[in-house]
Amino acid sequence: MADDAAAEVSVPERTSIPSGDDSVWADVSPLFESACKDLQDGELIHGDNFNLFAAMSALEIMDPKMDSGIVCKYYSIDEAIENGAAPVPISINKTVDVQCTIDIMDHLLACEATWHKGHSLAQTVFSCIYLLRPDRTSSHALLHSYCRVIRATCKAVISVVSDARTHEEDDLFTMAYGLPLDGDGDEKCLSLLNAVEETISRQLRACKAPSSRRRVLEEMEPLQTNLDLEEGYCKALLCRLRFRKHFYHVLTSMRRPQGRGLELARKHIATCISELDCIYRSSDFLRSSACGTSEDGIEDRTTASGCQPIGFDASLNCRLSAPTPPRAIKILSWKKAIEYFVKLLHDLDIICSYSLDPSLEGVLQFVVQFQKSQPDLVARAHLQLLLVQDGKLYGRESMFAVITRAAVLPEVAKNHDVQKNEYFVQLGQLVINTLKILCTNAAWQRRKLGKMLQDWRVIYVQLELAFRKEFGEVSSIPEDENVCVKIFQHILLWVEEQTYWIASRFLILGFELELYSPSEYCMVYWYIYVVLIKLSEKTHLKMAAKNDTGKRKGKKKRDSPKDVAREYRIPPAVLFLQCQICLAEGLTMMLAALRNEHMILQSRNPFNTEQERFFQHFELLQKACIPDHVSFHSFRESTTYARLSTLVMYNYFKDAQRIAKEAKSSFSNDPHKLAELRKIEQVAEHNSIALHVISRVGALDPTLKASFEFSHHPYFATAVVKRS
Amino acid sequence: MELEAEKTLIQAESSDGPNSNSSDLVARVRKLLFRQMLVGIRDGRFFLGTFHCMDKQGNIILQDAVEYHSTRRSSTSPMEQRCLGLILLPSSCRSSCHVGCYIEEQLSLLKL
Repeated sequence: MADDAAAEVSVPERTSIPSGDDSVWADVSPLFESACKDLQDGELIHGDNFNLFAAMSALEIMDPKMDSGIVCKYYSIDEAIENGAAPVPISINKTVDVQCTIDIMDHLLACEATWHKGHSLAQTVFSCIYLLRPDRTSSHALLHSYCRVIRATCKAVISVVSDARTHEEDDLFTMAYGLPLDGDGDEKCLSLLNAVEETISRQLRACKAPSSRRRVLEEMEPLQTNLDLEEGYCKALLCRLRFRKHFYHVLTSMRRPQGRGLELARKHIATCISELDCIYRSSDFLRSSACGTSEDGIEDRTTASGCQPIGFDASLNCRLSAPTPPRAIKILSWKKAIEYFVKLLHDLDIICSYSLDPSLEGVLQFVVQFQKSQPDLVARAHLQLLLVQDGKLYGRESMFAVITRAAVLPEVAKNHDVQKNEYFVQLGQLVINTLKILCTNAAWQRRKLGKMLQDWRVIYVQLELAFRKEFGEVSSIPEDENVCVKIFQHILLWVEEQTYWIASRFLILGFELELYSPSEYCMVYWYIYVVLIKLSEKTHLKMAAKNDTGKRKGKKKRDSPKDVAREYRIPPAVLFLQCQICLAEGLTMMLAALRNEHMILQSRNPFNTEQERFFQHFELLQKACIPDHVSFHSFRESTTYARLSTLVMYNYFKDAQRIAKEAKSSFSNDPHKLAELRKIEQVAEHNSIALHVISRVGALDPTLKASFEFSHHPYFATAVVKRS
Repeated sequence: MELEAEKTLIQAESSDGPNSNSSDLVARVRKLLFRQMLVGIRDGRFFLGTFHCMDKQGNIILQDAVEYHSTRRSSTSPMEQRCLGLILLPSSCRSSCHVGCYIEEQLSLLKL
């Protein structure tokens, strides 16, 4: 019956789309055409469930940005293959076959780097038709083994990133729906690769051997037919194969639990870097023996030879991604791809050389320092997985042990039963989350750190309440031998210190992300100043508690006040904070004074008041009461009466310089801290000079204005005085 | 009887405010809402979905649409399908438009 009706309707015969039981397709085009004429402008035919707003989200067919089904060249992957888009072998001519294989390898490297940088697998690595149909390449040992190891590598990298579970970069990275990542036998990829490498090594030896020996080796079939080029091509292939092999080893070694494979990984990393150097240097040979490439756009080429690779089509599997087509992306150039991998390997090497410091403070310093080089997602995911495994630090230190050590408690405390208390368990989880967040990218990190402040505050309150319930008021308990009391007291103090540290990171990251406009620097430095004061207070108390415990064990006699005063030195960590406090205070007052005396270059913001902007920036801190009793009004009070004349008399920058100098002697074996202190000194010096200049000359020359730039330090600005 | 049916339809529509002067043709199209509709477009693809909306220009919105596309350029190739959800088919790219209906209805639909 459908067939009878089909003859009447104008649906082409090839359509096998059923219209349902007992129904047929009726052509309604003429009806629609006439009905449309009767509609008013803007009138719609719709049902009761129609919602204009929802209808706006409809995908528009034939719009290239919304319709991923638009036919480009081929209707499907199979059609592309049938039309020779990915031939196996690539060419009957062995030389051309080798050239093209190398081009494919290079383009895959560029695609892989592009993927790592934040694009989808489908558009990058899996735009390779050879990878989409794994079985087709089995007759071509070189291509087959290479594809296998690429798939295995991608799978390993996806595993690391998805295990880190930070869900940044929109999960684009781990999306692999419908892509053949689980090739049959890919785990044996290395043995296949080794076999191919062995063959090519012998071919290399054969072509380099003197002619007398060549007769013996003649049973060895050469790689390709042009004897002059044999050595060059063998070498080019070998370094590429070896790079892949060692890179795969790096990934598997680094995944070994509790950091057991780090030393081995470093060896593989070193080999990878040297093979990448060989790969880079092979481009001269490959370009010269390639057929007819122009010099135009050579920098953008995705292969060493400059030729277009065979067998790639990004549009073929775009249907596999979401209904909407992915944004058009540009594959990184081959040169940039190599640079990316060199940087990635260097970042991984830093992770592998980490000493697995059991002190939490050491871990935090390491992560903050590591992040300064702006490592990419893959490196950061590896770091996170090294730090946090099975809910423990490095997979072996329980969080409670880590916390008791950080809170300067004696070793015996780490096994105390109180760790089973629900609040200590929660605290442990909070520390784990903090470590994970510190490994993410700056924007994500700042957002999460800000939200976390509330959690840290709440856990403090909960711990304090639990303590009071057990032992009464915190202050009324004398420092006695009861370990449980000690644990609570130390940890409470440590929790406060951590909270302020996170608050300071939150504020500082705002500079890195350029979230503050110059007219807001004054309030930001002021907030940094109040937070750092609290942080140094808590750090100092914590270290004093440590000294107390140490002293009581050693000395039996009462110390004379003189001895105590002489022996007591401000701990270096506190000194470090103090010079930053002076710098922050100095900048706050200088900015306030300049603003009060109208000498600052600043753009007017007509949209909201200073108070509104204060709340917008510090809302999360204010809500968590970090610190307590701090508000916009306290900020105004501190800065309304700032004047250049008073600042010159009491120069915070000079204090900063003095303290920084003093601190340097304590950090002589910490190059990062020394570098930081040197930068602080430079900022202090330049600002001190600027302050003097502007206060003396400013009154006489009204065109003199100050602007602030980050020329010596990433977040402490240097004043630049110039005529406007 | 048909006239009465049409009158009731028109009266029913008059409660929609600006649609009070909708013609018989528009009413008939309105009756097709929520039916299965098969729209063919110029590049050879077909979209099957529930008829959701149409405007004066003849642009159509289908709900829970499925795209049918052939895997080869030739006409006798198997079709693959994928789900798209809510889609808009501009009249400019539309090459055919069919509604699933019973054979008896077919004649009344075709007649203008």
